[in-house]
Amino acid sequence: MIAFTMGLLLTAALAFTSLALYNRNEKRLIGLRVRELGLVLTAVVPSIQTPLASAAELAAATHGSPQKFRAFMAPYVGPSRQFASASLWPLGTSKLAPTAAVGTAPVLATLPRQAQMFFARTEKAPTLKVTGILRSAHPSVGYGFTTAAHKGGFAVYGESQLPANRRSKLESNSAFSDLDYVLYLGHSRRAGDLLVTSLKHLPIRGRQASDVVPFGDSSFTIVAAPRGSLGGAFFKDLPWIIAIFGVLVALAAALLTDRLAQRRKQAETLAGVLDRAAAENRKMYAEQRSIAQTLQHALLPDALPEFNGLQVGARYIPAASGIDVGGDWYDVVAAEDHRVLLVIGDVSGHGLRAATTMASLRYAALAYAAQESRPGALLAKLSDFVTSGPHDYFATVLCVLIDVKDHRLTLASAGHIPPLLLDGDHARFVEFEVNVPIGVSRSSPFREATLPVAANSALIAFTDGLVERRGEPLDAGLARLRNAAIGQKLTLEQLLAKLAEDLASDYHHDDTALVGIQWQN
Amino acid sequence: MAELSGDRVAEVVIDTAVDGSGAPIITVSGELDISNAASLQSKVGSIITAERPERMIFDLSGLRFMDSAGIAVLIGAASKVDVVRLRNPSPIVRRVVELTGLSAVLPIES
Repeated sequence: MIAFTMGLLLTAALAFTSLALYNRNEKRLIGLRVRELGLVLTAVVPSIQTPLASAAELAAATHGSPQKFRAFMAPYVGPSRQFASASLWPLGTSKLAPTAAVGTAPVLATLPRQAQMFFARTEKAPTLKVTGILRSAHPSVGYGFTTAAHKGGFAVYGESQLPANRRSKLESNSAFSDLDYVLYLGHSRRAGDLLVTSLKHLPIRGRQASDVVPFGDSSFTIVAAPRGSLGGAFFKDLPWIIAIFGVLVALAAALLTDRLAQRRKQAETLAGVLDRAAAENRKMYAEQRSIAQTLQHALLPDALPEFNGLQVGARYIPAASGIDVGGDWYDVVAAEDHRVLLVIGDVSGHGLRAATTMASLRYAALAYAAQESRPGALLAKLSDFVTSGPHDYFATVLCVLIDVKDHRLTLASAGHIPPLLLDGDHARFVEFEVNVPIGVSRSSPFREATLPVAANSALIAFTDGLVERRGEPLDAGLARLRNAAIGQKLTLEQLLAKLAEDLASDYHHDDTALVGIQWQN
Repeated sequence: MAELSGDRVAEVVIDTAVDGSGAPIITVSGELDISNAASLQSKVGSIITAERPERMIFDLSGLRFMDSAGIAVLIGAASKVDVVRLRNPSPIVRRVVELTGLSAVLPIES
C-alpha cells in the first residue's frame, strides 16, 4: 500500500512538472517562431527598397524618363509581385502628381494632403519611407524613395494593396501555417493601424508573443499565437500520459516486487520519449530550411520573360543538406536592339545575409542594365557600387549579352565560372579573360569578349555548386557537366532538367543556379 | 548534428608561424571548404586585428582541396593586408584561383 501511495504521489509530481515544462517550452517556442517571422519580414525589406532605390537612381540618371521608368518597374508590379502600383513623382513642382505609373492608379494620388506630407518626408534623406493608407476603400501600404535631398529631384513610389477585409492566412504549406498572427503598421497595437491578420475576430487570445521589425522609417509589429501545440501534440499530452502511466506503474509496483522489471519498463519508456523528441527536432530543422527556401524563392524571378527566336530556362536547386540558403541568383532581361541580357551571380557566404546581399546586387544589376547593356561596363558599374562602400563579401557574376539576330555573344566575367557552349555535337567552356570578382578592388577596366556562334547553339551558365565536389579538382566537375550535356538531342527544358538531375542530386553541399538559352529554328 | 545534416565536416589543419621578416605564415593543410572555412576565417581575422601585418603568406603545400568559401577567406585577407602571397599551391588550388580571376590579387610566391 505504501508503494502504491508513493507511486501516486510521484506520478502527480511528475505530471505537474511535465505540465510546467510544457508551458515553459510552448512559451519559448512561440517567442522563437515570432522572431523567425520577424526575420523573414526583415529579409523582405530589400525586395521592396532596392527596386525603388534603383528606380530612383535611374530616374536621376535619365532626367525622369517615363519609358525607362516603366520598363524598369514593370517586372515588380502586378498581382503577387511586390507592388500593385509604382509611380514616378517629380518633386519641387507646384502641383504634386505622378508623371509615369505602372499597374493600378496609386491610391495616394487621390489624397493630395497625405501625398504632400509624405513626399515632404521622402525629400529629407535617401531612405525608405513608409506610409499607411488604411482608411481608404482600397487599403494600401505605400513606400517612397528619393535619391538626393535636393529640390527638383524625383521620388519613386510603390504601393501594395491589403485585402479589403484585412484577412490573410499564411500559406498552408508555409512554415508558419500553425500560427495565428496580427500585423500592425508602426510600433502599435491599435485597430486603426491593423495591416493584416489571420483571425476573424481581434484581439488575439491565448499564449502569444510579439516582435517589432524596423521597416524603412517605420516598423511593423507582429503578434502571433499558436493554433495548436507548437511542440507537437505528443508534448501537449505528455502530462496525461505520465499521469495515466504513473498510476499503472504505481499499481504494478504495489503488486509486483520485482523491481528489475519495473526499472526496465521505465528505461523503455524513457527511450520512447527520447525518440519522439528526436523526431520533433528533425521536423523543426526541416521547417527552418523551408523558411530559408521560401525567402530565397521570393528573391528570385518567378518566371523568365519570353523572347522571339530564343528559348530561355532556369533551375534553382537548393543544397541537399544544411539549413542555410546560398546567395545565388540569375536574371534574363530584354536589352536594346532585340538583344537579350543574361546575368548570373553567386554571393560568397550563406544564410540570411548572403540572401539579402544577393537581393541588393540583383536589383542593382537590373537597374544598371536599364542604362547599360555592354557586359564589361555593366560589371564595372556593379563593382564600383560595391567597392565604394564598406562591404565584407564578394560575388562572382557572369554577364552575357545575346545578339539573337546576328548569332553573337558578348561575355564578361567577374570571377565567375565560364559557361558551357553547346553547338550540335560539340560542347566547350567559353575561354575568355576573367576579371576579379565583384567586391575586390580593381586597377584595370573590366574586359569582355565577343564571339560568333552557330545557329541552334545553346549556352548554359551556372554557379559553382553544380560542379564543385569536395576532394575533387574543379576540372573533374566541369568534365562531368560537359559529358552530361554533350550529344543530347534534347530541348533546352529537358537538358536543364537532366543536368539538375544528374549533377546536383545527391552530394552537392551548396545551392546551385543554372540558366540556359538556345536559339530557335 | 552530423546525423541531421547528413554532411561530414572536411578536415583542415591550420598552423601559424612567423618568417624572418616578421610576416605571419599560415599553413593550411587538408581540405578547406564551406564546412570549415569559418575556422580559418577567425584565425586570419584575429592575426590581422592583433598584428596588423603588411605581409602575409599562406602556405598551401598540404592543401588538397579548396572551394569558393576558402577563396572568400583569402580575398578577405588580401583586402586588409597589403601583400598576400600563396606558397606552393597544388594545381587543384591554383586552378580555383585562376578561374576566379584572382591570379593578380592572390599571386603565387616566387
